Formats: sequence, structure tokens, C-alpha cells
Amino acid sequence: MESFLPVLESAFAPGNLAWILFGVTLGYLVGALPGLGKGTATAVAIPLTFYLSPLAAIAFLVGIAKGSTAGSAVSAILLNTPGEPSSTPTAMAGYPLARAGKAQKALKMGLFASVIGDLFSTIVLILVAQELAEYALGIGPVELTGILAFSLVFIAGLSGRSMIKGLIAGLFGILVSCIGLEVETGSPRLTFGLIEVYDGLPLIPVAIGMLALSEMMIQIGQRQRLQEEADLLRGSGIREDRVVTLGDWRRSARAILRGCLIGTGVGILPGLGASVGSFLSYGAERRASGRGADFEETGAIEGVAAAESADNAVVPASFVPLFAIGIPGSVIAAILIGAFTIQGITPGPLLFLENRDLILGVYMSMIAASLFLLLIGYFGQNVFARIVRVSPALVMPIVVFLCCLGAYLQGGGAFGIGVMVVFGVIGFFAKKYDFSFVTFLIGFVIGPSFELSLRQTLGLVTDVSELLDHPVALVFGALAVFGVWRLTVLQRRQREAIVGD
Amino acid sequence: MMKGLLKAFVAAMFALGAALPASATDWPTGPITMLIGYKAGGGTDTKGRVLAKILTRELGQQVNVINRPGGGQAVALEGFKNEEPNGDMFFFGAVSGITLNPQINSALQFRADDYVYAGGLTEFQVTMVAPADAPFDDMAGFVAYAKEKGKIKYASLSPGAKIIMQAIARQSGLEVDYIPTKGGRGMVQLVLSGQVDFAYSGGIHARYPGKFKTIAATSTRRLGNYPDTETLNEAGYEGVAIDAPTVVAFPKGVDPAIVAKMEAALKVASTDPDMIKISKSINMPIVYQTAAEASELVEESAAAIRVMLDTIGYKAS
Repeated sequence: MESFLPVLESAFAPGNLAWILFGVTLGYLVGALPGLGKGTATAVAIPLTFYLSPLAAIAFLVGIAKGSTAGSAVSAILLNTPGEPSSTPTAMAGYPLARAGKAQKALKMGLFASVIGDLFSTIVLILVAQELAEYALGIGPVELTGILAFSLVFIAGLSGRSMIKGLIAGLFGILVSCIGLEVETGSPRLTFGLIEVYDGLPLIPVAIGMLALSEMMIQIGQRQRLQEEADLLRGSGIREDRVVTLGDWRRSARAILRGCLIGTGVGILPGLGASVGSFLSYGAERRASGRGADFEETGAIEGVAAAESADNAVVPASFVPLFAIGIPGSVIAAILIGAFTIQGITPGPLLFLENRDLILGVYMSMIAASLFLLLIGYFGQNVFARIVRVSPALVMPIVVFLCCLGAYLQGGGAFGIGVMVVFGVIGFFAKKYDFSFVTFLIGFVIGPSFELSLRQTLGLVTDVSELLDHPVALVFGALAVFGVWRLTVLQRRQREAIVGD
Repeated sequence: MMKGLLKAFVAAMFALGAALPASATDWPTGPITMLIGYKAGGGTDTKGRVLAKILTRELGQQVNVINRPGGGQAVALEGFKNEEPNGDMFFFGAVSGITLNPQINSALQFRADDYVYAGGLTEFQVTMVAPADAPFDDMAGFVAYAKEKGKIKYASLSPGAKIIMQAIARQSGLEVDYIPTKGGRGMVQLVLSGQVDFAYSGGIHARYPGKFKTIAATSTRRLGNYPDTETLNEAGYEGVAIDAPTVVAFPKGVDPAIVAKMEAALKVASTDPDMIKISKSINMPIVYQTAAEASELVEESAAAIRVMLDTIGYKAS
């Protein structure tokens, strides 16, 4: 305990706290801008950290990561444009609420769920980082293939009214993800001579185009109606619609708890990514609620809670494999490796031995960041909520401008804007003809990791009987097959029910 | 009338100003950009950012870093070829991206002689590695082990890594399953979890002490951090080598005065305490090279790779 006091002192030193607060605020602001997510926010801030002490540098970056993860719910709910793909479910369930005049309620629930997920995951990180890391190492390519296959099927089940259309969209996403240099020999694939796509199409411009730009195109076509809706967005004036009531808590408690568990689990497994966490949690809640497509039509406070708690739980949990074995579980964790190395610290097995005080300090700072997040988010929302009081005629050009900015920054310049526009048009037609753009995005995001782990599996497992050594993979593979069968049966039953009418 | 005269005068001053080129010895007159062909956070990027900080001090102008990752630096280099050769942008990265890429991918337009080299700073410690508990310590032991086992699993993190192993397998008659991985960390995970027998490491394995064995260096000369590890050439694989020092390059046609100024700044950087500290922590020893030495090395390395590709009968895609 004695050796613990100096750690507390350095973690809660005013200078350190100020950097955490600055990080959380900056992150929240950047996250709230459409199309700019935690990856952008953290990567841009890395050079700033060179002049800081190791603890302040890492605490600052972790603050940004936490702030931007939670902040991206703001634009998702208010503008239907997620800051990053993992906030997509938040937009799906939250935007309808905002249109029903319950923007503030949705924002608050999103924030509370974020903070709870984040805090839960941070505590898990502190308690079990060292022990869990040993197991995480056992999750190799074979297991990942099983888990990813299962995730793909599960998410295809979310895809709206027609599973066939959902699968088409998902497979199209995987096809698009094949663009770029093939992973083993580096031969160009579907690049059509374009050097810019050698590393694949940039994710952020594709996502912004599909989600935000296409939405703007649709909304511009309905400007008249939107002006009327904007009046609705101002809020009903009823207190119940502005605050999170006890009833809302009761409806969301189960979703938040499940979201915490799913997000933490996804974060600990290297290579799954935040989107898998929020989508899985959202899908599970949507199914458990029994409300089906109604979730997206009228909005669902528990959907927001499910997505946000899981999304935020992924971040701290993804530090488990990073701290203990040096393998990042998320984009943020990968960027943090750079920050650690700049400070001359190697994440990995020796971290807990050589830099014990630093790690303890980082833990303390992470908890402080959670609390700051609650503070900044609660008061920041009042500022952001004013966005909805502005006429759509003003909001739309600004959103389109911010979309362009995000695509430019993340997509290699003007090329990114081109990609965004192309996928904006594709997204426009996908929405018009009810092809799930969400399934497309998930296929696109998971595609490369799925291909890589599948190909590694094909090299590693030379005989079918060797699969028996990978029970985790077998269980998830079986769940995936079961999922397809179950979805098919459900849909056939639905169709028969319609025919029966 | 007065107004007309004034206008003409102002126009003349502008014309004069535009006609006077900024002298190259004044370079840099504004912020300049360091181009890095890898993502932010990797070894090259980390080192590049420290170098940018030192160069900002030495050159008296802000040096900004931009990352243009993709295709093993190919994306960055392809665009860089068409940059104005005015010193506003320079490339910092591993020579292998310049020498290997255009030879294995016929779609690429750039060649090693599209650039002018201002010097070298560090060297990737590229080696063939095995898990620490592997029952062999050198290439001869590895070959014997692989023959006894029948078929070995090899973590291949880049096209270059695959080519090297193909050359070894061809010469020694080994059977190899190539397990592709993305980046060094994917390789580390495969080795640490015991899924592969052998791997190619860009130097990252040094961060996991006690977990890896270095079996051979893939460079033409022995590496700074592994003076006791044989090179593949020494082990009898003649011509099987890909050198990977990091160099600073400008587009062809840049003023020699700019190159000379950069060369001098690099020399200062090579003894800077920050540079020494970061080189230690990421295990990339400082190997300073003059502009002439770096150019010669690029030429030699490109020729060596050509020979190696011919030997294994590689067909550019």
C-alpha cells in the first residue's frame, strides 16, 4: 500500500488531471463532429504527446479515446451521422427518438450508458489484464475465423425485412473489401490501376458516404417536410422527454449490462474491432425486446443504451491484450503502441514488471477520465443540443462540409472525397431500394480480417481432424450454421404468415 | 494618372518578386513535409517523428509528418515521384520499399533512380526468427529440423518475406506452408502462440525478450544488434538478401544544395540524444550514411534483388 501512494499522487497531480480533462474535452468535441471518430482524434494528437511525461501522454490519449467514443453518439443521435462506424446502431435507434422530440433524453441515456460501459470495462482491465491476456493469446486465427463467421451471420440477421437483400448487401461489402493488394503475395486485386486503393478503399470515406452523405441527399429531397420536423426536434417541452426517467432505466438496465459484457469481451479479443461490439449488443437487445423493425421506426432508448455501453466498453478492454502481450485489440490500442514507443516503453509481457508504477498510474487516470467524461458530456450536451434548433437549410451544408473534411483527412486527400461521393450515391440507392447499408458496412469492415484469418487457418490446419484441437472455433462455427438455419426458418414462417393473410 | 502609375509600379514589383527565385541555400523558406509510407505508430513513423523534430531545429523551419500507408510504402512512393523537386517534400523510409516493390509489381511506375538520396540514418534489424524453444540455432540446424518434420509453417508478413523463404526452400529442398500475416504484430502472435515454426521479422521480435531466437540476418552484412547471427549469404544462400536501411530521398531534379543541407542535418541527427534514445527503445541502431553511400547502397540492393528474383523464377504480377 505504501508504494501505492506516490502512484496516486502522480496520477491525481493537477498537471496530469488537466491533461486528462483536456483530452476528454477534445475527444468529445472531435467525436461529436460527423465522420470524425476516435481513430482520427487520437492519431492527430500523438505528436502533441512527445513533450509530455509518459503518464501524462498516455492519460491524455486515453482521455481522447474515451471522449471521442462517447462523443460520436451526439452526431449519431442528432444528425443521423455517426462519428464512426461503431456508432451506427446508436443512430439507428437514437435518431428516430430525436425526431420524436426526445433528443435530450436519448443523448443523456447514451452518455450514461457510455460512462457505465467505460467504467465497467476499465475495472475489468484493472482486475484481470494480466490473467486474461494469457487466454487471449490462445485465440489464434482458427478461433478468430469462427468468431468472425458467427458475427457476420448474426449481423446479417439485423438487416431489415429481407434476409436475401441483407446477404446481398453484406457480400457486396466483402467484395468491396477485396479491393487492394492481396495479403500474401501483394498482387493488386480489383484496383483497376489506381494506386490509391492499394491498401483497400479507405474505411472512413466509405462509411461517411454510405451513412451521412446519402442521408443528406435523401433529406435535401425532403426539405419541406424536414423543416416541419425540425420544429418537432426542438423538443416537446415535456420534462419527461428531456430526462432519463426511472422507467427508461428499467427498460435499459438489461441492455446496458449485456452491452458491458459484450463490449468487454470483444475488446479483449484482438482484431474484432469496436463495430462488432456495438452491433452485437444492439442486435441482441433488438431481438430480446421482440419489437423488430419497430426499433428503427420509432426509436428505442434501450437500443441507444445497448449500442453505447458496448461501444465504450470495447476501448478499455482492448488495452488488455495491449498491456499484457503487446497486441492491440482496437485501432486506439494500435495507435497507443506508437505513443508508448515514443516514450521508450514497450507494451508486452515485461510492462507490469518494469513499468508497474506507470501502469497503475494509467489505471488511475483511466478512472479519472471516466468521471470527467460524465462531467463534460453532461454539460457539453446542452451546447450540442442547440444544433437541433438550427434550420435544416443551415445544418445540411455544414454537415456536408464536415463530411468532406473527414473524408479528406482520412482518405488520402481529394481521393477520399471522391470515394465518399461514389458511396454516397450507392448508399442513396441502397436506402431507396431497402438494401441494408449496415450489413454492407459490416461486410466491408470485417471482410479483410475474415479473409486473413481464414487463409491463415487454411495454412495452419492441414487436416480436418486438427479442427478438434480448436473447440472455441468449432462452437462459434456451429453457432454460425445454426444462425443461418434459424434465420431462414423465421423468415419462411413470416412469409407464410403474410401469404396466409 | 497617379493611380495608373501606382498600379504599374505595384505590378512591376510583383513581377520582379516572382521572377527572383528563392536561392536554394536559403532552403527551407517555409514549412516542409516528411512523407512516411507506413501508418502512424509503427517503427518508421516513430523514428520519423523524432527525426522531424530534430530537423525542425536544424533547418529552422517546421517539418510536418504525413503518413501515406499502403502496399509496403508503394502508395507513398508512387505519388512522391511526381512531386515538385523543390525540396518541399522528402521521403523517409526503408530502402526495401524502393528497391523491391517495382520489381515485384509491374503496375508501379516508380524506379529507384526516380529519387535522389540525401543519406541514411538507421537500419531495420531484419532477421529470420524462430520460437525460443525451437530445437535449432542456425540455418543448418533449421534445414535439418524442417527435413525431419516434412513440412514447416512459416509466418510471412510481406511479399519480400515470402520471396526470401521461397529462395531458401528452393535451394534446400524444403516444403513450406506460407501463413500470411498482416504486419509484425500478427507475426508475433502466431509465433508466441506456437502456431508457426519459422518467421520473418522486421525487428519487432526484440521487444519480446526470451520469446524468440534469431536464426539468420537477411542483410548482406551482419546487423548491428546481432553481431553473432550469421547472414543468409554466410549460411550458403548466396544472393538471398534484402537490405533495409532507412534513407531520406527527394524527387529527382532537386537542387544539389538542398540535398547537401539535408545531408548535413542528418549527420547532426545521427548523434542527437533524442535519436539515440529512441533508436535504443525501438531496436533500430543508428547507421549514418552520406548521400553518396546511400545512393550506392540503393543501386547495389536493387541489383541484388533482381538476381534473387531471377534465381527463384519470380514473375512480377
